[in-house]
Amino acid sequence: MHIAEGFLPPAHAIGWTVAAAPFVVHGARAVVKEVRENPESTLLLGAAGAFTFVLSAIKLPSVTGSSSHPTGTGLGAVLFKPPVMALLGTIVLLFQALLLAHGGLTTLGANVFSMAIVGPWAGYGAYLLTRRLGGGLLPAVFAAMALSDLATYVTTALQLAWAHPDAESGFLGAAVKFLGVFAVTQIPLAIGEGLLGVLLFRVLTVNARPELERLGVLTPEPAGPAEVSRDEVHGVSRAQAPDETTGGER
Amino acid sequence: MTGLAIDDAAWASAWRPRSPADKVLISVGLVLSALLLPVWPGSVLVGLVAVGLALGPARVPARTFGRAVRAPLAFIGIGALTTVVEVGDGIGWAPDAAAQAGSLVGHAVAGSAAVLLLATTTPMSDLLPALQRLRVPAAVIEVASVTYRMLFVLLTSLTTIREAQTARMGYASVRGSYRSSGALAAAVLTRSWDRARRLQDGLAGRGLETGLRVLPETLPASRRFEAASVLGLAALAAVSVVVA
Repeated sequence: MHIAEGFLPPAHAIGWTVAAAPFVVHGARAVVKEVRENPESTLLLGAAGAFTFVLSAIKLPSVTGSSSHPTGTGLGAVLFKPPVMALLGTIVLLFQALLLAHGGLTTLGANVFSMAIVGPWAGYGAYLLTRRLGGGLLPAVFAAMALSDLATYVTTALQLAWAHPDAESGFLGAAVKFLGVFAVTQIPLAIGEGLLGVLLFRVLTVNARPELERLGVLTPEPAGPAEVSRDEVHGVSRAQAPDETTGGER
Repeated sequence: MTGLAIDDAAWASAWRPRSPADKVLISVGLVLSALLLPVWPGSVLVGLVAVGLALGPARVPARTFGRAVRAPLAFIGIGALTTVVEVGDGIGWAPDAAAQAGSLVGHAVAGSAAVLLLATTTPMSDLLPALQRLRVPAAVIEVASVTYRMLFVLLTSLTTIREAQTARMGYASVRGSYRSSGALAAAVLTRSWDRARRLQDGLAGRGLETGLRVLPETLPASRRFEAASVLGLAALAAVSVVVA
């Protein structure tokens, strides 16, 4: 859900840009460091950005009749970690504003905050928590993608409510209004995107094991913390029995 | 159709040879005017100027521009309506509902048109190197450039795979649609990795060491265009403040 150009008053546009800036700068630093160490990662990061952009061209059928497109921020957070997603998400949002007329330039900061910062962090948090609690890869992916979507939608609704409080009931009333209006499309979308993530990872664990291992989603990275990696090795065997894992969450 | 209409328009636009800095000046000036000036007559003027410049001197096809302006309209409409519906003891209209909604829609549509003026006249590959002046690190600009260059290939893959899936009844039911969408996303993702790896191999064979150097096309800035932009924006602001 992108806030359109001109929809936020100037003070809010500036405020959200300032709020988002440290995260984006942090992501940019991480990318600069990564590229200096391995120049080839430029291409992989570019590919990741392009994939995130293209993902929004996939239409998910929705219960409410309308079809929505996935945001992919949760997926990106699981695959590439939230700091990198803050930068990639910013690039993708800029592209969406200029190539698809979704979002805007003065609202870029607010959109980056909800979609490239809050969404990925919430999704990644849900992913880590599910894995720590002993959940397999697929439930964790479902949680990450559904939750990052929900967190993005709630953030956007609150941003709008703050900018345009209700004449009578103020911020709270406006928050209820915006949350209610966008729930119709966003809640089915969150569930749909979670399911899409599960289906996607079922294919990936079979077809793209080496890549997932390199990204640290499946096998331990040598430098990674030992307990997490043992968890992740555990996740592999579960992920390979898809019927058993997905049965529980549908 | 695999291209993006706005991108196609940008490459074909009559303003394509203009310096990106010139176009950023006028477009961002209009975006800020749409945001800061009173909606009547400021936003209306901004909208008219943006559409006039795009369809007139920049010769952007009206169909493309019209469609692109329509893209954010659903959000703007729903958002504005939600804002002016009042919830208190019951549900009703806010006291100045029409004016408030009109102002929101005016700012948003005018701003969107101004952003589109830049989007439909300046290809991303011209705009990204210009970011260097804003002290964006070169590595970040390179990642963005690779993103831009790769997304069309991936969009083509996506369209082709989806066509094949549709032809095999892949989207005949809701269940099937989800299964197909998952496979589609996975296929596009693995293709993007594969493509990045092959590009990397090719570049490594040619001695890739410090980033992807390309010769930037030199598009000289025009003093006259810039002066006209500044004067025009100043006049627009003056008229809006005086009339409002």
